[in-house]
Amino acid sequence: MAVSATSAPVPAPARFDFAKAEGNGIRDFLRTFAVAVRLGWQLEANWTDPLLFFIYSVAKPVSSALILVVMLEVIGGPSGRAFRPFVVVGSALWSFVVSGIAGLAFSILEDRERFRMLKYVYVSPSDFLTVLVGRGVARVGVGLAGAAITVAVGVVVLGVPFDLGSVNWPLFVTVFLLGLWSIVAVGLLMAGVVIQTRQESWSYPEAFAGALFLVAGAVFPLAVLPALVQVIGLLTPLSWWIAGIREALFPGGPGSIGGAGSVFAGAFGHAQPGPLEIVLALMATGAIATLGAVAVFRVSDRRAKQAGLYDRTTGS
Amino acid sequence: MAGIIDLVGRAGIGPHEAADWSRRQELMTDLRSVRGRAYPRVIGLAREPSWVLFEILLPFLATAAFVFVYRAIGAPQEYVGFVVLGGALTAFWLNVIWMMANQLYWEKSQGNLELYFAAPMHFMSILFGMAIGGIVMSTTRAATVLLIAGLVFGVTFSVDQWALLLGVFLLTLAALYGLGMVLASLFLVWGREAWHMGQMLTEPVYFVSGLNFPVARLGFLGALSVAFIPLATGLDAMRQLAFTDAAFPLGTPDPLLEVAILTVMTVVSILAARWMLITMERRARRDGRLSIRWQ
Repeated sequence: MAVSATSAPVPAPARFDFAKAEGNGIRDFLRTFAVAVRLGWQLEANWTDPLLFFIYSVAKPVSSALILVVMLEVIGGPSGRAFRPFVVVGSALWSFVVSGIAGLAFSILEDRERFRMLKYVYVSPSDFLTVLVGRGVARVGVGLAGAAITVAVGVVVLGVPFDLGSVNWPLFVTVFLLGLWSIVAVGLLMAGVVIQTRQESWSYPEAFAGALFLVAGAVFPLAVLPALVQVIGLLTPLSWWIAGIREALFPGGPGSIGGAGSVFAGAFGHAQPGPLEIVLALMATGAIATLGAVAVFRVSDRRAKQAGLYDRTTGS
Repeated sequence: MAGIIDLVGRAGIGPHEAADWSRRQELMTDLRSVRGRAYPRVIGLAREPSWVLFEILLPFLATAAFVFVYRAIGAPQEYVGFVVLGGALTAFWLNVIWMMANQLYWEKSQGNLELYFAAPMHFMSILFGMAIGGIVMSTTRAATVLLIAGLVFGVTFSVDQWALLLGVFLLTLAALYGLGMVLASLFLVWGREAWHMGQMLTEPVYFVSGLNFPVARLGFLGALSVAFIPLATGLDAMRQLAFTDAAFPLGTPDPLLEVAILTVMTVVSILAARWMLITMERRARRDGRLSIRWQ
């Protein structure tokens, strides 16, 4: 039986349903974020047993604190121990900062150079920034655990005087959350940088954090720095974050911002910032850092698309 | 018949042995391999200038932070010199950990490792090439840290025995990169643990090596470090030789004894690296696991 060309209905050509790629707003955002967090955690932690993972995670921050403690002992002896809470808390917080800053940048480098999945992740319907931040959360979590253990070691082994009852919890929670936001912003900035650079960029986040270590007052008061460097420190949100956490954990203790002859004291007329000043300064500097980081990331993203950098692998 | 047996027999040996070359041809190939592996590291310095900021200037600021710690607690000036010398040597240690020890694992992930095994050269050429390229990279960073810090912080070195100091420095590099060659094989076997091992070998090793303070202050732990970690041995010997009039805790061996320790470390690590590579190559051809990525 002959079939004429016009008797059977011709199926309409398949059309791409753009609605499928647009997603479902907040639901898709949360799902993307949750999957990215889970993926980041699996990549970070599923290669070994929990005990070994724990040892690896705390060895670095505890060693950093011990280096500073021995430096104090070498020079100050027993009198240097008064400075011990300052350096233990500062170095513990700094390990958290380094993890947070490195998390986003390492997500880019791992997916581009090692797993070679970055281009696929980028073209998927998931929001790229959400995936990046989610991937970085695992490292932030590990950094947080390392920081907490370092403080615990400081209290139990090194004799750092700490009273849970005297902690200013509202200040702690407020400053911690605002600081976390700033750390992620700096991490985003570094992600924007490593998109443009080569495989050896693994060391860049830590190098950048090392430079901030100088101006953030993590392990010494800003007042010992030259005036210009103090100003840079006062414009850095991480300086206010560390000062705020210190003030919350050890109210009235020695702070990293201010002091006799400091730029802060000269500009504001009193020796040290109060809790409200710290929160306001953290909000202001954090907002500027966030806007700057997003701008850098967007410019980097655009240039990477133009130059084909998301598909690039390098080596040396 | 003998030709057929020769042909069949070749399947069981590596490309380097299978190549029917004279000694001179083998040597020239190995030297070309050393140059070829060092080339991307040396030439890469000029190709992407961002490394100057991230690998020289920013790490210098991190070193400066420890100088300010000492200043904050009123330490004598020679301790600033200790920090600067330690900061310079970290360039080599980081290079050994991340660009020697971790490198073969990354080469495996990138698919280059099987090419190395298939090429008719000795694998040690690859490691020597990586080391030479790494030394060039790190020397620029170390020299910059020493120069800038020396000027900015007014560090004055007081050296009586320049030749011995230079010898200790070169031996320290040899021992460090020899250790890197050993770790390269180990990290390859450890797989995903390699990254975390790299992290374990930074700050904890800085601590036990006395990076920012005299290692003698660590007592028995410091003595163990001087005996087994080239960074600790070399740093302590160089401090003794570069700050001869400094008053700092005694208790570590004389520099000449530390030279002997470094020499033993160098010889043992290079022999161990060679043995491990041969073992690894045999294993690679036997079960093929070393070409499987991301394990």
